[in-house]
Amino acid sequence: MATTYDAAGRRHPRSRRKLAASFASNVVLLIFLGFVLLPVIWVVLTAFKDPAQAYEQPPTWAFHPTLLNFRVLFQSQFLADLGHSAILMVLSTAVALILGVPAGYALARANFRGKGFMTSWLVIAYVTPVIVFIIPLYVEYLRLGISGSYLALVLSYEIGLLPFTIFMMRSYFADLPVQLEEAAMIDGCSRARALRLVVLPVMWPAVVTVGILVAIASWGEYFVALVLTDQSTTTAPVAIYTFVGIEASNWGAMAAGSLLVILPVLILAVFIQRGLIRGLTSGAVK
Amino acid sequence: MPLAAAFGLSFTGYTSTNPVASWVGLRNYRLLFSDPYVPGVLITTALFAAAAVVSEAVIGTVLALLLARKMRGVSIYRVLYLIPLMVAGIAAAVSWKALLNTSAGWVNSIIHVVGIPQANWLASPTLALPSIVIADIWTGAPVVAVLVLAGLLSMPEDPIEAARIDGASQLQVVRFVILPAVRPVLGFAIIFRTVDVFRQFGLIQILTGGGPGVKTTTLNYYIYQNVFTYGNISYGSTLAVLLVVAMAIPLGLIYLITRRREI
Repeated sequence: MATTYDAAGRRHPRSRRKLAASFASNVVLLIFLGFVLLPVIWVVLTAFKDPAQAYEQPPTWAFHPTLLNFRVLFQSQFLADLGHSAILMVLSTAVALILGVPAGYALARANFRGKGFMTSWLVIAYVTPVIVFIIPLYVEYLRLGISGSYLALVLSYEIGLLPFTIFMMRSYFADLPVQLEEAAMIDGCSRARALRLVVLPVMWPAVVTVGILVAIASWGEYFVALVLTDQSTTTAPVAIYTFVGIEASNWGAMAAGSLLVILPVLILAVFIQRGLIRGLTSGAVK
Repeated sequence: MPLAAAFGLSFTGYTSTNPVASWVGLRNYRLLFSDPYVPGVLITTALFAAAAVVSEAVIGTVLALLLARKMRGVSIYRVLYLIPLMVAGIAAAVSWKALLNTSAGWVNSIIHVVGIPQANWLASPTLALPSIVIADIWTGAPVVAVLVLAGLLSMPEDPIEAARIDGASQLQVVRFVILPAVRPVLGFAIIFRTVDVFRQFGLIQILTGGGPGVKTTTLNYYIYQNVFTYGNISYGSTLAVLLVVAMAIPLGLIYLITRRREI
């Protein structure tokens, strides 16, 4: 930023104030950035520290990186648990998109009786704490003998994921000019054909973005997995919890496991930065 | 459907050892009013929700105003502030547990350098809830900041220019031009955070387990304990009905306040 000087060569007071303001802003932003990065730095460093060094006070900065913690993880069930998480992520994302994309389209375009009712029903499902739904579902799963199965888990995940998918897709479809389908339909396309040949190709990036957001949410899900999974479906987040002992936690394993859960998401997120913000704002009324 | 089922279960005597949905009428509701823990749990829930949401709204808005400035390097902050939005809740919870550890946590060694006495963050009756609030701010404030920033960036420049030309100070511009314009987005962000705070589970379970005593047991966590630790499924459903009612009040109020005073 160029500083302005007055005729006598003195710095202009206003620009000095501006400089001070931008300095102060940077200080505040930096302090908060430290706060934001603190847990991330802890995870990365502790994951590669010797487990015994993790408890040293003050923390050791110079240490020989070791893969000991990851070895501990892989000797436990953790690899299998990452696999369970991945299976659940794929299944629940697929279900959310298959049901949610057409539903979002319908809410954005069609006018039908009970539309307002359905929208508010979805809002209620999205807003209500998931525990309220899980209690009766848990009872029902036990009765049917499917507690702990992928079926029960995917069904329960969709309580949150499906309304999110529908709202996101509705907002993307609402931004798409109707003329696009109308033109195709005037040219003799059926609505289904117009959807397949004209709308979906344009909407592909949106569907991918929503899919990634849903996948991230499903990958990090903790509460539902904690109460519903059994040995054969334990997810990685639940497995990390098992390293939190009552008396002494295994920090090294906790950090290494966390790193393995966080890393793929951070990599994916680089591709969908814009979509991420949209994902947050989509519900915000226009 | 499950919502109605939860309501239905609250009138039965269903437990994990006696899984029969026998009708017991209002017995669970009478239990609710005589449960000595319920008042404390409700107060904790209200304190936690209020402290977390208010600080996240204030910090988030300030950060958004700073992030909206045209400064060099501001885009780096905008990207890095997104990190908490992507880190799985469990990873945030375990790292805060370690960071706030009394004897080996980084937070204590950092404040030791500055000269503040080290604290027993998670086990002290006075500091346990604030500790959870701090960990919640870690995700919550960036969420508010990102939302409000999106609102600020989509705002036209002209009204700000006009106010400046009319001689408004920077503070006046923020107070009378910018804040009213982002009110709907801020309202949405606050509702979003309120919803999340009421269902906060991982932080409470991992940082304190609801303790010391029941000092950090929120309603959501109390339901979890009743249903999944003690097997009181029908009483848990009664508490779940209470949770829905308890949430509806602040959500309704926030909705009315942020909606009405639009110009």
